[in-house]
Amino acid sequence: MGEASTQKHISIKVQTKAAKKRKEILAIIGFMTPALIIYGVYVIYSIFMTFYYSLFDWSGIDNNFVFQGLENYITLFQDEVFWESLGNNSLLVGASLLTQLPLGLIMALLLFSPIKGIRFFRSVFFMPFLMSTVAIGILFIFIYDGNFGLLNALLEMIGLESLQQAWIGKESTAIWAVIATVCWQFAPFYMILFRAAIVGIPEELYEAASIDGATAWHRFKNITLPLLMPIIVTSAILSIIGSLKYFDLIYVMTMGGPNNSTELMATYMYKQTFTNFNMGYGSSVSFSMFIIAFIITLFILIGERKRRGVE
Amino acid sequence: MKFRLLLVFLLSLVVIVGCNPTNTDVSTGGENEPENESGNDTETESGSESNESSEPEEDVTLTLWHIEDGPSGEAIEAAVDRFEEKNPGVTVEVSQQENDPYKSKLVVAMGGGNPPDVFSSWGGGWLEQFVNAGQVKEITNDIDQDIYVEAALSASTYGEKVYGAPIGMAVVPVFYNKEIFADLGIEEPETFDDLTAIVETLKENDIIPFTLANQSKWTGSFYLMYLAERMGGPDLFSEAYNRTGRGFDDEAYIEAGHKLQELVEMEAFPEGVNGMNYDTGQSRQLLYSGKAGMQVMGNWLVNNVRDEMPEFEEKLGFFLFPAIEGGQGAKNHIVGGVSPVFSVSESSEHQDLATELVKELASLETSTQMANTAGDISAIKGVEYEDPYVQEISDVLESSEAMQTYYDQTLPPELAQVHLDTTQALIGLSMTPEEAMAKVEEKAKELLD
Repeated sequence: MGEASTQKHISIKVQTKAAKKRKEILAIIGFMTPALIIYGVYVIYSIFMTFYYSLFDWSGIDNNFVFQGLENYITLFQDEVFWESLGNNSLLVGASLLTQLPLGLIMALLLFSPIKGIRFFRSVFFMPFLMSTVAIGILFIFIYDGNFGLLNALLEMIGLESLQQAWIGKESTAIWAVIATVCWQFAPFYMILFRAAIVGIPEELYEAASIDGATAWHRFKNITLPLLMPIIVTSAILSIIGSLKYFDLIYVMTMGGPNNSTELMATYMYKQTFTNFNMGYGSSVSFSMFIIAFIITLFILIGERKRRGVE
Repeated sequence: MKFRLLLVFLLSLVVIVGCNPTNTDVSTGGENEPENESGNDTETESGSESNESSEPEEDVTLTLWHIEDGPSGEAIEAAVDRFEEKNPGVTVEVSQQENDPYKSKLVVAMGGGNPPDVFSSWGGGWLEQFVNAGQVKEITNDIDQDIYVEAALSASTYGEKVYGAPIGMAVVPVFYNKEIFADLGIEEPETFDDLTAIVETLKENDIIPFTLANQSKWTGSFYLMYLAERMGGPDLFSEAYNRTGRGFDDEAYIEAGHKLQELVEMEAFPEGVNGMNYDTGQSRQLLYSGKAGMQVMGNWLVNNVRDEMPEFEEKLGFFLFPAIEGGQGAKNHIVGGVSPVFSVSESSEHQDLATELVKELASLETSTQMANTAGDISAIKGVEYEDPYVQEISDVLESSEAMQTYYDQTLPPELAQVHLDTTQALIGLSMTPEEAMAKVEEKAKELLD
């Protein structure tokens, strides 16, 4: 009798547990569905459709779809402008990683240093990121102008006339001029990320380290940096992906010119799709962009997982 | 519990639905993808409205997309008002857009199967893409062809069939600063040698001979078009385009490229010419401030001057691009174009009404208003010009023996892009004329043969 009652008791318990779990799953689904619908329609579906369109010779404005398999991709691999734009994207990735992240970190650390009026600088540092990209683009067009630009005037003032040039008018300097502008715009974004992460590091760690006699450099190397690692990895991914699909400033400042020297994959895709009426070919450019970004992200994530595993 | 869940779900749906329109609104100013959304959005709206209106005695709504701003935009609005007055119960939803985004927006709208009933273009190869795609209604017999200037109507005529009605025209002379020319005792040039002599004189006096913002590319194309016409004569381009004789790699084109690079090597253009943007006024600033002496530009420059620096107008003179000795072209052969051209979409549900709207837009009244307020030359015969400047430019157009339409608007867009890119490379001295012209010819073979 006693046994039976405990059994019953247990079965009720199991039942309630299962019911609870079912409810939980329902709740999760309920919360996720809206986002999933949006994500599915605007991301997953779009990616598949891009690939689908890339298999056709299609102008984008008529119903004349000519299926041609992977021919767009074969053309793409032989297209020197595409390779040039991929090269420029790699330059941008490299430059972003090597300047935006360190700059962001330095600025974030500066914000915690006991300098008077640092709050003012917090706003100043963050300013570029608040400006509209188009405004930044036009501003820098004028700064880089070869005839009356601010940069050339500055060079003249400090006696470096020999360095004066038309920064975005020459094929050799145009890409660097634009990359510098991109870095100027986005470094503050990483500053904010790092700043938030630094705030999250417990004060006690620093206190303990000080008691043990650690110098500022040691504290940075052994406490701040390791604890920032996850956010640095996230920033690196953001920065790499952002650079791979970058579009805005190029469109505003150079339109990919002069002579394709600042062409990026995204601007090339835009040109092919909307200027040259090659929706099919443009789609193959954007799908390749997706694949490249996807593979790189995968590598970073695997690398990060391994690193954590080692620790 | 379940109820609460449902509530959360519903609430989130409300948020999503509420968010969507604002999102698209915000993105109207942006580029690329957001454009698609907003483009499609207006589309669906207009589509559903015209669906409703197909029932009799319901109000009809037509959509009109154009890119005219300032006084020209007002002329369009006035024409729309006249149309609405004549057709009670018909509302025209006018959407005025920016030049460059408009191009991609219309492509997306056409591709999505929901284009506006009436849209504007520049005729030429761009409109032809839509014509070939079966998206544009033929209006050969709907309009009175006799009221239009022949050269203007030809820009939207493909194989004897008319697909658009023009309002205005533009020509491209060489504008110059009269004060500088008078101070230095320079006369308007008759030959290309005179012109290079002027370039040298201006250089000696530390004045940039030609101001040019060639990041925009079409600006530099003017020089190549003129040089090519002056070398190879008025038929050179049409032969190359129609594949009936000389090609884009003809000796005349190559020589034109050499002449252009000769100018570059003489430093006839400002420093960093390929990085300067026409739309932000970088080239005009040099002209206004007296740092540069000349500019090859369409007559809309007069409009820019009046808008940006009215006191400069009295210094502004113009002459026609001089002939080259030994070349087949002549000084009174001009480069010009047509804008705007209005067309009806094939998929419009009210084609007849839309055609009426096109006729009202491309009418003598509209073009008179545009000529007198915006300084456009009329594409419709019989306009009396009040503005002496426009009268003068219009006289030039009438006395010219041949008109070369802009390459970039006449050629198919993909070929036009190659022409623009190679011309920019020529000016940047990063390509030889032989290479550049071979590249254009190669693309032409691919697309036109």
